[in-house]
Amino acid sequence: MLGQTYQFNSLKEILAKANEEKSGDQLAGIGAADARERIAAKFVLADLTLGEIRNDPLLPPEEDEVSRVIEENVDEAVYSGIRNWSVAELREYILSHKAGPGELERISSGMTSEMIAAVAKLMSNLDLITAASKLRTVTRCNTEIGQRGVLATRAQPNHPSDSIPGIVAALYEALSYGIGDAVIGINPVIDSAESVKAILSATKEVMDRWSIPTQNCVLAHVTTQMRAIEQGAPMDLLFQSLAGTEQGNKGFGVNIRLLDEADGLMRMKRASLGPNHWYFETGQGSELSSYAHFGIDQVTLESRCYGLARQYKPFLVNTVVGFIGPEYLYDSKQVIRAGLEDHFMGKLHGLPMGVDVCYTNHMQAEQNDMENLGVLLTSAGVNFLIGVAMADDCMLNYQSLSFHDLAALRETFGLHPAPAFEEWLVKMGIMADGRLTDAAGDPTLFMG
Amino acid sequence: MGDREKLESLMKSTPARIGVGRAGVRPLTHTMLQFRKDHAAAVDAVYGEVDESILRQLGLFTVETCYGNKETYLKRPDLGRIITDEGMEVIRERCVKQPQIQIVVSDGLSADAITANILDVYPALLDSLRVHDLNPGTSFYVKGGRVACMDHIGEVLQPDALVLLIGERPGLVTARSMSAYMCYKPRKGTIESDRNVISNIHPGGTPPLEAAAHIGTMLRGMLERQTSGTNFY
Amino acid sequence: MDELSFTSVGIDIGTSTTKLIVSRLRLGRVSGAFHLPRYEITERELRYASPIYSTPLLSRDEIDMDEVARILRQEYDLIGLSLSEVKSGAVIITGETATKTNARRVVHYLAERSGDFVVAAAGADLEGLLAGKGSGAEQRSRETPGVVANVDIGGGTANVAYFREGRAIGTVTFHVGGRLIRLDEQGCVISVSPHVQGWLPERGLSLTAGRKTTTEQLEAIASAMCGDMLAYLAGEAVDPSFCHLIAGSPPAGPLPEIDELMISGGISTLMANPEVPDTMAAIARYGDIGPLLASFLRRQADKWPFRIVTSSQTVRATVIGAGMQSVEISGSTVHIDPSVLPLRNLPVLHLEYTGMPVEDWSRTADDAMLEAARYALPGAEAPCAIALGGEVIHSYAALQRVARTLLDTYAAHFSGASIMVVVCDHDMAKALGQALSIRCGKRLSIVCIDQIRVERGDYIDIGEPLPGYLVPVVIKTLAFS
Repeated sequence: MLGQTYQFNSLKEILAKANEEKSGDQLAGIGAADARERIAAKFVLADLTLGEIRNDPLLPPEEDEVSRVIEENVDEAVYSGIRNWSVAELREYILSHKAGPGELERISSGMTSEMIAAVAKLMSNLDLITAASKLRTVTRCNTEIGQRGVLATRAQPNHPSDSIPGIVAALYEALSYGIGDAVIGINPVIDSAESVKAILSATKEVMDRWSIPTQNCVLAHVTTQMRAIEQGAPMDLLFQSLAGTEQGNKGFGVNIRLLDEADGLMRMKRASLGPNHWYFETGQGSELSSYAHFGIDQVTLESRCYGLARQYKPFLVNTVVGFIGPEYLYDSKQVIRAGLEDHFMGKLHGLPMGVDVCYTNHMQAEQNDMENLGVLLTSAGVNFLIGVAMADDCMLNYQSLSFHDLAALRETFGLHPAPAFEEWLVKMGIMADGRLTDAAGDPTLFMG
Repeated sequence: MGDREKLESLMKSTPARIGVGRAGVRPLTHTMLQFRKDHAAAVDAVYGEVDESILRQLGLFTVETCYGNKETYLKRPDLGRIITDEGMEVIRERCVKQPQIQIVVSDGLSADAITANILDVYPALLDSLRVHDLNPGTSFYVKGGRVACMDHIGEVLQPDALVLLIGERPGLVTARSMSAYMCYKPRKGTIESDRNVISNIHPGGTPPLEAAAHIGTMLRGMLERQTSGTNFY
Repeated sequence: MDELSFTSVGIDIGTSTTKLIVSRLRLGRVSGAFHLPRYEITERELRYASPIYSTPLLSRDEIDMDEVARILRQEYDLIGLSLSEVKSGAVIITGETATKTNARRVVHYLAERSGDFVVAAAGADLEGLLAGKGSGAEQRSRETPGVVANVDIGGGTANVAYFREGRAIGTVTFHVGGRLIRLDEQGCVISVSPHVQGWLPERGLSLTAGRKTTTEQLEAIASAMCGDMLAYLAGEAVDPSFCHLIAGSPPAGPLPEIDELMISGGISTLMANPEVPDTMAAIARYGDIGPLLASFLRRQADKWPFRIVTSSQTVRATVIGAGMQSVEISGSTVHIDPSVLPLRNLPVLHLEYTGMPVEDWSRTADDAMLEAARYALPGAEAPCAIALGGEVIHSYAALQRVARTLLDTYAAHFSGASIMVVVCDHDMAKALGQALSIRCGKRLSIVCIDQIRVERGDYIDIGEPLPGYLVPVVIKTLAFS
């Protein structure tokens, strides 16, 4: 090809080299050497069949529990109908008008996460948007999100020392912009059950006092949250970060047995109605950062996270796309690509995908890039986005989207908050006729 | 309380950018520019360099890691963990071997953090070592360093404990925040959970002098208990 | 150490009653693993409250110290509490009892014998503040905008403390209490306190010890006493005679405007009773006018611009304040010589660091030491505690200058001292302590702690370090006198 012969020795290598350029694949030493090799790999990948991909496991189920979950969840009847498709055919089928939401959901049940990753590698950015925009996943915890026409939001009122008044103040600001319908979620500094309980209680108190139809969550380690809930903390959603390999999850201090145990505990003790009570976070590169990638590329590993996540029917899945740093996603181009890939792959797994559209200050990215990605994801039908006061998270030291940005995306696209939440906003006088009122943007509304 | 007072009491409770108002659904001009200004400071901190005269003043000589240039430094953290061969030669030549405490200073992700804090932290740290009856070896500066360069240096100098003062990834609240990483007998193969860290060292965060004073206590504890990291905390 | 708890006791010897409480205070780390350690008292749990004893007196002017000690011993034995378990707490002598001839001796005697670090406390201001903390008024002021005041009305005095956003902003004490007029059931007046004797004629009222009185007479007195006190607190014009009922000298400036008034103390317990005591037997059922005062407070509650609420801790507010709220803990990065602790009753010298030129600041420090030399403990190893407020010190050079100035001026004014105690407002005690320590060599033992706020006129007690290197501290404030 192009006057050069390329040889690929394994599926792993083809998948890695077919990726769009990512500094993380380069760091791992598995990325394509140049643009031509990348395209050669894409050609080869296009002609592989789904059966060939399944029959050549990257990480054998006997050695990895994430692989086992993915394998066990394949609907064999559906699979046998598509096993002879090439990845190219799969791409065209997904993009075709034949494949509506119901049909995509059906074929999804016959696919492994590796197949979904493979097809993403053959898609352009607009392909990823077009395909994802067909897919909708509606989930319910206390309230329902994911409906067509809805853009939900997480309020992230973090504070550098977990000060309750500080958290509450930033939460008031969020609410006054109509932000917080997906979840009021706080990343704590102190990973202790007492601290988690205190933050959950404080957010619950605000929710109760103003009858806010949403759910709360404190993003501590799952075992800390389990201790908090045992101590009677009012917890609507249980959080955990996931990785795409058993080893990677070990790095996060979790395994499937622990997740199952936590799931059982939530069924008994959650403060919410359910049935969905999980909030998962993922992000390309986390496996490599804990030396748990087994030579597999970061897009495929990310897809495997979703294969694990769907086992637990989560209320929210969020890819924290630009937090990890330039050694995994170097610049805004790579972040934008990763955001669209993750959103599509998650959606095709049937997951309620949200994105933390974000960057750190040592990446080649700035706020305009995030605004662009916000627009792209909104057009792709993302379930929810993260909102931080003026986009500046004073605890995690990175930038996401602002409350203003989320309000602007809703207004520009004619989208609404979750129905119950919008009803509440109208009652509070913050929103009318689908827009913010003059009273909006004033956090002292909630001090009365 | 009046509305203004209420808003102020909320704003006082958090460094988050709240109470900023809006123009339609967009931020006000000065709020937006302030944000851009803080981001500019953060980016400059990443790409900046530590003022040579400060290093001279503290009597620190400089060695480099294999980072090459800033772009490679950002993409290849592994290279920032290894001191160049030339650097290692200088270290072998000039440093006291097997010191009780080895102090290393590095720019890391914010040269500004070092420029802003080191003149206060370094002498206070020496005092703290003295109060705790600890003897430092020969301190030096590592350009283009990552946290795990501690291991490479530890391997060669064999200190009982090593403290690395390094610039943190800048945030918008401050671009001048420094961390102090400490490890008992850092060597090749030391893992992250073997280290302890005091982070967010800058005048608006962890008070720099107080942090320096506490490092001596922690190092003394590491030597007494012959361990560091999660075992130590 | 991630968590630690310790036992704290409170002992209140009041005008009419004496009581004890035992509490468990839990310390928890409130800073993340990547930050300097910082602990706070995360939970204060009441474990035991003794019965209410009548305060044993030998005569009108003397407390029966042996009997009080016996009661306490009996209580400790009953709940199996040993002295070494008690790591903090306070003995306070309140109301009229504080004026007894042996009050001072009693309180110090008991403090020494009640546990490792139990402090002696006295004074109307402190009494009011402890009651305001114990009643929940301080906490309430954190949760509600505006000023919350607590009035603790017992047998001898009504102690008022004002709080805003959890901080004490003022105190005032009145000679208003049930025991100030004692009666028998036939309506014969047994005694009238001197302050009330001074007030009555000027207010156009009269009452004579040894004579029979009437319910009408008593009602007029109780009504005037309550009404004038509440009017005074509301900032309204009040009969000039009321100055007789203000303890000490009246506050210099205007008192803060109250948004919510909480009532605690023995009288608040009686307020729960809705029956109006309309016979002499009902009025005098405790041998004083307490029931009548309570009844008038109840009836007059809605006349004022502030909300009146009764505390959930009624009769035990002060003792709970003493046992559960008196102790604070220092920051966790401090520099101390544990061998010199505990230190008790150190008068506080206040010094602000302003960053002014060093010569000027050294003059400021010199003046402050000179002034402190007047009230410092003469000849003591630690004659006073230097409270260093003002600006935070972030520069190493400035820290050295401050250390040098402190040592020089301290040596000049307290040449006999062998211990230097510094209490910093900001988180800098360890750095300053180390700088002081290096500079002074072995000449002085340094105790430098932080994150404790003390005011001019306070006294401070510093206990032995708890694991984790922080120390318990009790501030005995006289700041509002």
